[in-house]
Amino acid sequence: MDTPELIEQVVSAFRERTPDGFIQAAPAWHDLEPEDRVRAAHAARQQRLIEAALDPEGLSTTAKAVLARLRR
Amino acid sequence: MDHLLPLIAAGDAQAFGRYMALAEDRVRASLQSFAAVVDVEAVVQEAFLRIWLVAARIEVDGRGDSLVRFTIRVARNYAIDLVRRQNRLQSTELETLTRLADAAAETPEPPDPALRRTLEKCHKRLDGQPAAALQARLDSGGSEPDTTLATRLGMRINTFLQNIGRARRLLAACLEKAGVALPKGVL
Repeated sequence: MDTPELIEQVVSAFRERTPDGFIQAAPAWHDLEPEDRVRAAHAARQQRLIEAALDPEGLSTTAKAVLARLRR
Repeated sequence: MDHLLPLIAAGDAQAFGRYMALAEDRVRASLQSFAAVVDVEAVVQEAFLRIWLVAARIEVDGRGDSLVRFTIRVARNYAIDLVRRQNRLQSTELETLTRLADAAAETPEPPDPALRRTLEKCHKRLDGQPAAALQARLDSGGSEPDTTLATRLGMRINTFLQNIGRARRLLAACLEKAGVALPKGVL
């Protein structure tokens, strides 16, 4: 997979969890060079602002992913 | 945002959603200096989950924005912890990242008030595969991997990812044309 596609994978809010419950880095993130990781983080910030602005409750996919995982 | 803390501490998930809607960009922006060494998305999600778990023990200190400052501190400490575990940075480099994160946390910039209205118009103009790919991501709410979303749309994974990027660039260009700015550092 090329760098632009790897960056787009990192931009997704979907993250796996480790067996002990920690949220894992996206597998594609490990395949990126440091400068491309920075680009991915900027793109993700842009994407989340867009998502939140399009959502009636102002929730990004990050916020929705967290809400789906809440536990006490 | 501190007014939401008692509700969150009492287990009100809706209030926590409102809090995340208000705080997420500030927390994310505070981690930008760590972006080359940690997956910021994973750190943001982990930090919010930890806040949910410890909300009942967070104290408002009267300086304002206690909850978001606490969240930024949790996110920062988790990022530092991940970097230390990787053992790939000198302590001086880590200090530099932390100083940069301090600066980012102190200078929040709210989104342009016209962003939502303009973006809705731009979104309506988006069509074809970029629109379908973006909508699939929005509908999944971060709960499904891209391979699942791509399969559902009958796209190859690379095509799906290219369409996601195209959709974001089209929306950003539409916003720019309308004179609506995303916060500094986003583009």
